[in-house]
Amino acid sequence: MSVTEITLHQVLPKVFGGMEAEERIANSEVWLRDLSFRRGCRTLVSAESGTGKSSLLSFMFGRRSDYMGDIFMNGENVRKFSVEHWCGIRSTALSLLPQDLCLFPELTARENVEIKNRLTSHRSGKWIEDAFEMLEIGNRADTAAGKMSVGQQQRVAIIRALCQPFDFLMLDEPVSHLDNRNNSVVAALIEREAKECGAGVIVTSVGNHLDLDYKEVIKL
Amino acid sequence: MSKDIVWRLLHRNISVWQLGGYAAATFTGLAIVLCAVRFYCDVHSDSEGDDPYVTKDYIVISRTVNAIGSLLGGDNSFSPEDIAELESQKWVKRVGEFTSSDFNVSASLDMGGRGMSTSLFLESVPTDFFDVVPSGWHFDPAKDTTVPIVLNKDYLTLYNYGYAASAGLPKISEGVIGMVPVKLSLSGNGKQIWLKGRVVGFSSRLNTIAVPEDFMTWANSEFGESGERNPSRLIIETESPGSPEVKNYLDSHGYEAAGDKAASGRAAYFLSVATGVVAGIGGVICVLAFGILMLSVWLLLQKNRSKLHDLMLMGYKPGAVGRYYYIIVGVVNACVLAGAIIVMLVVSALWRGPLEAIGVKGASPFAAILTGIAVIGVITAINFLAIRSKVKESFAG
Repeated sequence: MSVTEITLHQVLPKVFGGMEAEERIANSEVWLRDLSFRRGCRTLVSAESGTGKSSLLSFMFGRRSDYMGDIFMNGENVRKFSVEHWCGIRSTALSLLPQDLCLFPELTARENVEIKNRLTSHRSGKWIEDAFEMLEIGNRADTAAGKMSVGQQQRVAIIRALCQPFDFLMLDEPVSHLDNRNNSVVAALIEREAKECGAGVIVTSVGNHLDLDYKEVIKL
Repeated sequence: MSKDIVWRLLHRNISVWQLGGYAAATFTGLAIVLCAVRFYCDVHSDSEGDDPYVTKDYIVISRTVNAIGSLLGGDNSFSPEDIAELESQKWVKRVGEFTSSDFNVSASLDMGGRGMSTSLFLESVPTDFFDVVPSGWHFDPAKDTTVPIVLNKDYLTLYNYGYAASAGLPKISEGVIGMVPVKLSLSGNGKQIWLKGRVVGFSSRLNTIAVPEDFMTWANSEFGESGERNPSRLIIETESPGSPEVKNYLDSHGYEAAGDKAASGRAAYFLSVATGVVAGIGGVICVLAFGILMLSVWLLLQKNRSKLHDLMLMGYKPGAVGRYYYIIVGVVNACVLAGAIIVMLVVSALWRGPLEAIGVKGASPFAAILTGIAVIGVITAINFLAIRSKVKESFAG
């Protein structure tokens, strides 16, 4: 179950219906355009707050379907995907770091990562340990996620997002709560893993960009 | 470990009180249903005596004899149309005809040196309707001219405690009477013959002096004078001799049932109704308990909705997440079933003694156990469908 291309065809959130003539929609390089993301891409979707960047990733991840237009994966309209099919893609081809992180506050940082990795069996225990150390949260691995700072939670969620095979890694404001040094460390880890599997990386940001070497910057 | 983590994640909102309440209510309802089913099966089982207590029963019917009919010599027999109409009734399983002797019969026997002689009557009914079919229950004039006879048990009682006591004769048991020589004189159609008779058994179902059908066919053809006659008594096999339907039918057609079968049938009918009511109450409790469980599962899944959604975003499939809820419901229902079966077995042991005292052996518990498995199976299946639907709904986002 591999995804090599994601294509957007005249997509617009339903909530923006009737606003097509407004400047923010008319000038958007995503909404109501034909646009493709290919495997191996490094794309930054730059947006102002409230323009629908989280919605865009949610649409492509099958988390929401309240949009007009169509999204295709390998030429197949995603509206036809069943719940089971989406679940399969989410553990083998698409990985999402949502802005709200979706960590389970009652579980420890390590358990939040394990709950994903045991599903995919993608990473070794050592890889996870090293990732915790690399992102400087090794000493917080056994702390309940709900008791960690937002920046620490963000790094736990990033490690979790990497605990699966993926063709596309979608990151919704991944470093909004990280300083520049941690931004670079996270970027290095993501670039290393994405490169290793030839995956595309799509990052949204309102200002504090993940420190990647983007080949494409799109204004939402 | 992931199973453990997911389990720990999802079980936090499980209310032990809600599940316990459901389990207790279902257990109570199911135990009542199983006990009622077991009791019903027990009292409908074959008894050790001659007649099943409340199982398939037999009514012997005849036309009501009234004064005018007697004076005018009215026909009290059943026509083929009457029999056909009876057979078409849904409470009738089958109908057997009494064939009476169309000739004169007298019997003489020797009781301890004192001879007795009396005129009597003979009847035959199809062997299928016998509660006891003694060995040698046939007659062939070419081979053996001994006539096997089955008497009604009440006749022996009447003799022992009525006639024998007053006449100073010895009381005789069922075993001994078979050894008493009986001489039968058959006459009619210008012929007369002496035959040996032997009492081979006693029936509590047939209120008559019964002989084999082949004897009656032979004797009527030899000594009968009036040719083919309609039967004046019928024996009916029915499941519910005491039901109002039977009584209404008999009354409206001027038939009457012999003996106290109708009364005991009514008791049996009442018992069946009472058992049904008890089972119904148990069923209602089960349904209410089922409602509690559905509500609990609904609330649990609702509370865990965001967790289910997040698991879905990670790639967990609905079946994988639902499995934990299936296990909870499955284990609780299995425990409830096991508990209810144990209670049914223990409680049924309490009524076993009294039932055995009236000759009811009791039935196997399998019918009740199968009922329990069926009830819990249906409840569990609906639970699973509801869980599956709710989990998918959560996964739909």
